[in-house]
Amino acid sequence: MPILDIMTSRKSIRRYNTDPVPDDLLDRILEAARWAPTGENYQPWRFIVVRDQETRNRIGDLAKVGSGSRMTAWYCLGHMQERFAGIKDEAKRAEVLRFMYSGEVSEFAKKSPVVIAVIGSLMEGSVDVPYDLSAAIENMLLMAHSLGLGGCWVHGPVATTRDAKKFKEILGIPTGMGEYKVIAYVSIGWAAEQRKYPRPKKELQDLVYWEKFGQKERPSHG
Amino acid sequence: MDKNVMLNQMLYRMEEVFWHELSDCAPWKTEYVGIDFIQAQDVQGKNEDEVIGSCIERIKASGLVEDIDYGIGGRDILLKLRVRGCQLMLKETMLRKSGIKPYNCPVANMIRDQLIEKLGYETTYLADMAADEKSGCCALKVAIFATPDKIGAVSEWSKE
Repeated sequence: MPILDIMTSRKSIRRYNTDPVPDDLLDRILEAARWAPTGENYQPWRFIVVRDQETRNRIGDLAKVGSGSRMTAWYCLGHMQERFAGIKDEAKRAEVLRFMYSGEVSEFAKKSPVVIAVIGSLMEGSVDVPYDLSAAIENMLLMAHSLGLGGCWVHGPVATTRDAKKFKEILGIPTGMGEYKVIAYVSIGWAAEQRKYPRPKKELQDLVYWEKFGQKERPSHG
Repeated sequence: MDKNVMLNQMLYRMEEVFWHELSDCAPWKTEYVGIDFIQAQDVQGKNEDEVIGSCIERIKASGLVEDIDYGIGGRDILLKLRVRGCQLMLKETMLRKSGIKPYNCPVANMIRDQLIEKLGYETTYLADMAADEKSGCCALKVAIFATPDKIGAVSEWSKE
């Protein structure tokens, strides 16, 4: 499949069936991560592959509380209602909102066969660690999709400083702020949902400037 | 030079660059700012009122603020704080002038920390911060979750 087709057909998958992810496919996903661009070739990334149910339950609970606490507050402030005003069916909108502010939206590590924690070493002189890790995550998601697997990039359980420390404790990662940065986990599994694609995207003409910021007219060249 | 002005200028620069790096995620990362002071104060209390009251007493005694009023509502997850005469108001003014909505309140961070440390609260979240340099008051809305089952206890805070 052409690489642009892989990119445009990829969706974030949060519902998985119970079939295990074979090791050889998992290895290809991790190999894709290894080849992501990285400043000065520092390769600060480390990956913790988690299949253990109890560990995934704890990660799921942490993510639920993290996302749910923020979304509960946003709902109480009226922000969530504005964000989902486009859903015209009242009952459907109410259910979507409940799914969000309850934190259930981020709880799915419990039912994802594989969770891969993506962390970066801050101790090797590496620069801009989150950017390197983000590139690795993108490679993982694209590879998973190309193999027919679903995946999702989840920041919820590590979004706050306190939650990031809890996440590190769950996985035995040193908790010092100068040692490892936890950026996210990636869930991987066989999709149990079909999501519409491609997702609505802004037009390129609204995103691209030519030669200078704000210059939308494409200049002739050659 | 006034040491407080200098402190505010330094905090402003730190928070400005932090916002530039993380945008709306910046407030999620700054919840520890201020906690070292309050953790050294041996705050005691068996319930919300006692812990919050003890925090307020110590924060006022430090000279950081002139006064703090508070109230709890919103199905027990909304902690409203009204801070007057805060020594950090200058950094909020400087942030606003650079186009950034103030997002980090060490006073709120201290109280949040002690609710977690002393009462075992599950989590907290600084949901809104309205710093008014003209009146010298700062109104804060903090979501406080005593237990996981308080997640999702929604209500309309505008009616509180």
